[in-house]
Amino acid sequence: MASRLIRLALLVTLVAGCAAQPATKVTAADRQPFNDVDVMFLQMATEQIAEGDQVAELAAQRAGDAELKAVAAELRTQWHDEDGTMRRWLLGWQQPLTADPSAGAHAGHGELHMLRPSDIGELRSATAKAFDRTAVSLLLGHLGNCVETSRMEQAQGAYPPARTLAATVTTRRQAQIRRLLKIAAAGG
Amino acid sequence: MRRWFTLPALTVATIAASLLVAVAPAAAHGYISSPPSRQANCASGAVANCGDIIYEPQSVEAPKGSTQCNGGGSRFAVLNDTSKAWPAASVGQTVTFNWVLTARHSTATWEYFIGGTLLASFNDGGAQPGATKSHTVSMKGFTGRQTVLARWNIADTVNAFYSCVDLNIGGGSTTTPTTPPTTAPTTAPPTTAPTTAPPTSTGTWKAGTAYKVGDVVTYNGLSYRCRQAHTALAGWEPPNVPALWQAA
Repeated sequence: MASRLIRLALLVTLVAGCAAQPATKVTAADRQPFNDVDVMFLQMATEQIAEGDQVAELAAQRAGDAELKAVAAELRTQWHDEDGTMRRWLLGWQQPLTADPSAGAHAGHGELHMLRPSDIGELRSATAKAFDRTAVSLLLGHLGNCVETSRMEQAQGAYPPARTLAATVTTRRQAQIRRLLKIAAAGG
Repeated sequence: MRRWFTLPALTVATIAASLLVAVAPAAAHGYISSPPSRQANCASGAVANCGDIIYEPQSVEAPKGSTQCNGGGSRFAVLNDTSKAWPAASVGQTVTFNWVLTARHSTATWEYFIGGTLLASFNDGGAQPGATKSHTVSMKGFTGRQTVLARWNIADTVNAFYSCVDLNIGGGSTTTPTTPPTTAPTTAPPTTAPTTAPPTSTGTWKAGTAYKVGDVVTYNGLSYRCRQAHTALAGWEPPNVPALWQAA
């Protein structure tokens, strides 16, 4: 149940991410300190953290490249903190921690942007250089999606602390992307 | 438990419905990470002042069939800017290109070009890529500084994702960026363009002529020196293409 909820939740949110027309429809009550984008950001980001941490955990344990190991360890620490804050806000606002599955149109599309169990499986079975290369590739793709989520919040969120957190997340993920790209360019 | 889900579910359905039209980030999906593509060099900080591409190197999406590094259109035109100092990775005649994917689209083909020459095409027949995607491609005798254009053609949309990779191609058999340094060939790759053939003065610039580095031509009464080996095309007149010709 939980995993199905999560998958569909992300599906919904990522379908949203692929929609092309901007619009301004306000559904939140005026006195609310947060808007729909804040909620969506927190729900998406916590799910992305849960997915990404599977890769980071393996990379922190098994990477041959010391820099890759360091990036993975740093990610895990930062994600742990970010996740705690995000969940506290959602709970405080009495919002669900994941989005509603029944709202998922465009079935199958959102999954394109997720790490699949088969990706984690490929990483798990890779060894030596191939392990590092797979981990770098999966992390770069995943962090790219994380940056898109946080930039959505920076542009359209309403709750100032969440926007500030999103800006921090963007800066942190970009720094990690830069490090990972250097590893990739060097042949990692 | 049941109640916990019911009420929020309504709220979130509304949220999701509004977000379907409210949020408009880029459609983002993939790029070449090694050897570093132009967008990777922007995102890694190796090349400065690239604009928004640093946030989304995976977003160079445009209709299929373009031969431009940004896929045509106006977005990310910086990728077409030949006056920018794009670093060129030193490689041999066989190069392995590694992709980063942020969405795993059903894929028609992957294509690699230098100029108008198709180096290789890989047909995935509509399959979804796995955790990683890489292709090993022959440079077909091209040497010196070259720009490889890679196209990822999506099976179920009209679009492709574009990545240009700047290379300094040597004549060696297999120097790929994925080769660990410890097993790199002992023959040093050429650090500069071929020096064996002396530069020649080849008269007036003409489309269809194969020029090599150092060749000097005249065009509209001015002299230009060739910066990269290439076969000239109409539209690549020396004053138009600073990446290829330098005023001499």
